[in-house]
Amino acid sequence: MQSKSVDPFFRRRPSAELVAILVVCAVVIVVPVLLNNDYLLNKVARYLVLGMLAMSLSLSWGYAGILNLGQAMSFGLGSYAMAMTLKLKTVPVHTGPQGLPDFMVWNNVTQLPWFWWPFQSQAFAIVAGIAIPAAVAAALGWFMFRGRVTGVYVAIITLAAMVVLNLLIVDQQQYTGGFNGITDLAQLELFGIAFDAYGRSTYYLVAICMTAALLGAYAFTRTKAGLIIQAIRDHESRVRYFGYDVGAYQIAAFAFSAAIAGLAGMLYTIVMEFASPTFLGVQLSLSVVVWCAVGGRQSLLGALLGAILVAGVQGALSESAAFLETWTLVMGALFVLIVLFLPKGLAGLVSSLWALIQQRSFRPLRGVQGIGQTESGA
Amino acid sequence: MDQFIQQFLTGLSIGSILLLVAIGLSIIYGAMGIINLAHGEFVMLGAYTAWFLQVQFGMGLLISLVPIFLLVAAFGWLIERFVLSFLDNRPLDTILATWGVGIMLQQAVRLTAGGELRYVKMPEVLSNSTDIFGVQISLYRIFLLVVSLVLFAATWLLMNRTTVGMKLRAVIQDRPVAASFGVNARRIYGLTFAYGAGLAGLAGALVSPLKSVSPEMGTGYVIDAFMVVVLGGVQSLVGTVASAFILGELSGVIAFLQNDTVAKAIVLLAIVVLIRFRPQGMFATRVRA
Amino acid sequence: MNPYLQLSNVTVSFNGFLALNDLSLEVCKGELRCLIGPNGAGKTTALDLICGKIKQTAGSIAFDGAVLDGLEEHRIARAGIGRKFQVPSVFRDLTVGDNLRVACAHHPGVFSNLRPGHRQADDEAVERLAELVGLTDQLKKPAAFLSHGQTQWLEIGMLVAQNAALILMDEPTAGMTAQETRKTADLFLRLKGRHTLIVVEHDMGFVKAIGDVISVMHLGRLLAEGPASAIEANPAVRKAYLGSGGITNA
Repeated sequence: MQSKSVDPFFRRRPSAELVAILVVCAVVIVVPVLLNNDYLLNKVARYLVLGMLAMSLSLSWGYAGILNLGQAMSFGLGSYAMAMTLKLKTVPVHTGPQGLPDFMVWNNVTQLPWFWWPFQSQAFAIVAGIAIPAAVAAALGWFMFRGRVTGVYVAIITLAAMVVLNLLIVDQQQYTGGFNGITDLAQLELFGIAFDAYGRSTYYLVAICMTAALLGAYAFTRTKAGLIIQAIRDHESRVRYFGYDVGAYQIAAFAFSAAIAGLAGMLYTIVMEFASPTFLGVQLSLSVVVWCAVGGRQSLLGALLGAILVAGVQGALSESAAFLETWTLVMGALFVLIVLFLPKGLAGLVSSLWALIQQRSFRPLRGVQGIGQTESGA
Repeated sequence: MDQFIQQFLTGLSIGSILLLVAIGLSIIYGAMGIINLAHGEFVMLGAYTAWFLQVQFGMGLLISLVPIFLLVAAFGWLIERFVLSFLDNRPLDTILATWGVGIMLQQAVRLTAGGELRYVKMPEVLSNSTDIFGVQISLYRIFLLVVSLVLFAATWLLMNRTTVGMKLRAVIQDRPVAASFGVNARRIYGLTFAYGAGLAGLAGALVSPLKSVSPEMGTGYVIDAFMVVVLGGVQSLVGTVASAFILGELSGVIAFLQNDTVAKAIVLLAIVVLIRFRPQGMFATRVRA
Repeated sequence: MNPYLQLSNVTVSFNGFLALNDLSLEVCKGELRCLIGPNGAGKTTALDLICGKIKQTAGSIAFDGAVLDGLEEHRIARAGIGRKFQVPSVFRDLTVGDNLRVACAHHPGVFSNLRPGHRQADDEAVERLAELVGLTDQLKKPAAFLSHGQTQWLEIGMLVAQNAALILMDEPTAGMTAQETRKTADLFLRLKGRHTLIVVEHDMGFVKAIGDVISVMHLGRLLAEGPASAIEANPAVRKAYLGSGGITNA
């Protein structure tokens, strides 16, 4: 029998964060029961996907300290993967000998390019939508972190990489649909279910993926690897002297974040029914940063809710052009204020309040016996 | 031969515009380590001020240059004072804050002056072309080249031959020590940022007759200016000049051989590789041990 | 006795300035070596070199038979070398407990650290270490809230957690009270033997209490080496560092 104190620090009780996550996921799953409007359901699904995207950035930025200004690149890669396979599934597309997508025919392309071939398999596309962003991120991460590029330069490189990809996609319009993207897609069919963008099936698909990604990311942050990543964020060079290969950890976090963004991208194509270069664009990438900052970059849930909140308000206001312009101005000001004075975002506010409440109600001897605990004064 | 000269002159022209925009950014980034994503908006402000002065008061471009410089510089000073001064130890956050400020400026302009394209008239006296080695080139572009070099020279003199410049260099080297000698770092930063902003405003006014003026015009310029500064080496004015013209020639040539898009992509990739392998740029004046 | 750590003719040059000038140093296994010398002698540079923070311009370093030249910092750490820094370097945003947990680096690979939850061994180690350094009450506090002395102790605790064979301590008692310094001396004496320690220090009382052999550095090289009594008596050392009063008057 242990004679030492049973320190609550070590007891495996569910943390407040996990409880909050489960509550939010439960609410998300219940929404279709309360909301009977297909159009609105599609909109909510859209915001959930953007929330996933913001959450993926918080993993990279808030936890690992890697400010990825090109997070949309992973998102876009995932969305294009899904779009390519769904495009190849459309029946009226067969205007050319090998089932060429219409935009290729319009551009006088005679043969399906090599990189389109594997997307004839839906299964491949689904795996690719996660694996390709992760692989690209791992490669970019290897390039940067093995070279000990840090901080601001990482931000610049990630942004530049995304812009390059964006430029190439827009330029090679005969193979990629260019400026207009890939439109007129078939519906995804999995396990006999057809996922109509405005149907419940799509909503539940998004909700389930979001829950899985959120719980997966949360689990990652609770492992020792997650702890080491945060130590790296805190003091990168010091971590090396304990024997950890910092570059390897950074690459791992970076790639994981990209994988989640890729998954979100695939879902976005299903929800929006098209893929476009704007999904790989500077505008979106920087918006993700804003959502993350507002919600709280160091909080997975905060980033998710921040995105839903900001994108949601923006969506509601987009009905009126005048409102939208003013909103963008207000948003810009709010963002600057948050960067200056609330670096941990709204989630930071919440956790500060929570800590305050806990202090007030802390009773020294509750559930604890042992040496030295009675004198703790928080 | 003709084509070569044409190419060369085009490259010079692009380079001089890049230099105009990049000098201000180079000062700010080199001196303060601040990545000013609002720099493009300062350029835009300069252009809009030129348009406004022309439309409202009938002032010609050349006369407006001084008030434009002062106005945008004042603006820059305000931003340094009320935004950046809070972010002394948070370099990553200055990117975000300046980007946010840029967004606000863009929106504010859109809401007040409207989002349509505006036009600034080229000064009458410079609107002809002239003949150089058998190739036609606009007088205005020559003017831009001259102005960019003059501004560079003025900035260099300011940095290296004046007391203010010396104080700035002291603060860059070692802020606490400079402060202990009575140098007011906050004031120096404010003046520096204002100067950089003012230069950007000038650049905006000067390029406005060449293209149209719109709220989004700044974004393209800030990316280009960044490439110049990173390539040329932080804290090196000479490097900025060299890299502005190198990049100008390079993008001219690539655009000629390929197309604009590919040119941009290649230059970006080159910058990425450069940052990775030689982050201090080509002309680093200081290599830390 | 075979040298455990061996620096052979090591030179470190910063743009012409020789921080270390043809330095040769040997430390035996289980020793507690103290490294002293006036400011600018190169003591911290020597530690930086051993743990891989800087690379030498000339010369070679060997540890336990293996050559360390050109190895990355984490490889050197995995070879069994730990470093405590002059300015206490802990992870300020993490809790004290988490700091100690990170320092338990027996399995440094990414994949081995991906299993969910805490390791039992880690938990027990953290509890023990917290008691050792007197931070049991602060386990859940962010390290940023600790006092300077407590931060020093945390880092020392982290070094013990790391369980390195060779521990480099850079001015561990800076900012400590007399009582804390005594406690640190006790701890080091306990660590000696199982671990090899190199301690850079200015506090002569502390050095005398713990050191077997003292190495005196001056201007980037070794000036003298031996037990405290020999060092005290050495006229060159006196001239360079101690002044006319000797160790006993410091």
